Amino acid sequence: MPSVTTFDYENALVCCAGGNRRALMQLYEQEAPRLLAVVMRILQNRPLAEDIVHDAFIKIWQNADRYHKGLGSARGWIYTVARNLALNALKYSQRQVLAEPDFLLDLCDKQVLDNEHPDDEFASDVFTQASLDVCLDHLENERKLCVLHAYVDGYTQDEIAKLLGKPLGTVKSWIKRSLAALKECLQ
Amino acid sequence: MNKPTNDTPETDSEWVGQYVLGTLNDEERVAFEARLAQSDELQKAVNQWQEHFLSITDRLVPLTAPQPLSARIERSVDALESATQTKAPASTKLGLFWQNLALWRGLSTACFVVAVFFAVQLQTVQPTMSDPTYIAVLVAPENKTPGWVIQTSQARQMQLVPLAAIEIPAGKALQFWTKAEGWDAPVSLGLVKKGETLNIALDKLPPLTDNQLFELTLEQEGGSPTGKPTGPIQSIGRGTIML
Repeated sequence: MPSVTTFDYENALVCCAGGNRRALMQLYEQEAPRLLAVVMRILQNRPLAEDIVHDAFIKIWQNADRYHKGLGSARGWIYTVARNLALNALKYSQRQVLAEPDFLLDLCDKQVLDNEHPDDEFASDVFTQASLDVCLDHLENERKLCVLHAYVDGYTQDEIAKLLGKPLGTVKSWIKRSLAALKECLQ
Repeated sequence: MNKPTNDTPETDSEWVGQYVLGTLNDEERVAFEARLAQSDELQKAVNQWQEHFLSITDRLVPLTAPQPLSARIERSVDALESATQTKAPASTKLGLFWQNLALWRGLSTACFVVAVFFAVQLQTVQPTMSDPTYIAVLVAPENKTPGWVIQTSQARQMQLVPLAAIEIPAGKALQFWTKAEGWDAPVSLGLVKKGETLNIALDKLPPLTDNQLFELTLEQEGGSPTGKPTGPIQSIGRGTIML
């Protein structure tokens, strides 16, 4: 599949809005494996995750006409659709809440990344792709984990608080401050 | 109901960040989505945050989607297309009504406000009743007067409760329908009797989804002969999950 940086997501959405079925299937070829990974990580249930990816593509097809260039990242738009469906589906689905700190921290560890992907898009695209790692790196591990559990695992703040053995208020304020710090760092 | 606390986001930037992270509670999320629908600026900020965070999940090992999944998506798109093609000539007015985006946006905002109002009422007036987990307010299409409330509880029952006296013309019936996203056509949930609460066992339905459509149409006595809504819409609204 073409890399994330060369595929034209914006054009794919514009074509979907115009009723071009091939554009939808090209987007599927391009993004389904990554979307499935994201949704599966949240739901931890393969059949349900596949259902959600199906629903996401149908919603993308139906709502593509609401997207226009003025809304910025088309890829961000696509994942907002899919993630919202997945987070919503959590209400009907039980899943385990696991800590896995090493796995999560490795996901955004710049060094692991540089060693594993010395030449590919992740390492080379310093301006957009890598900047969040750099900014996350400024956060203490515990706070970084809160953000990652929420985003990557789809855990609620309640679940995170129990998992880390911290008061809910502490987790909420960590997340709030971490977001503010990330925002400032990314600008 | 949660009162606004120190945890409720204050600035737009906080709202956007928490929305993308998925840490807003249901109420906050619905409220923010209503604002989001109106603002390109906020949508842009959401997409931007999402793009930043994607650099993390892009490192998850991609999963091979099974071949039948793409075929299933194609079939669903086929079904959507044939539904719009057959619907248009048969009932242009109804078709246009269903497709009017501005109306839905307005309705869902209105429904949310009313739904929250009733959720508060139900919880304060009848503390013994189990909390509603799903709620929708059906309003008249022309003037948006609330006419019916739908609620579900732990009892695995959905109730359609009239808010006022209902006049059903002689020889006619009010038929209750629902349609979730991705369904080809509305499904009948039964006929409404005057002044009575309609109870529907939820086991007969797929799980209720956010934004699921509910409507009451005026049909001939005994219900629509085609199994699809044919008469004018009396009341319409979308559901919200309240957990």
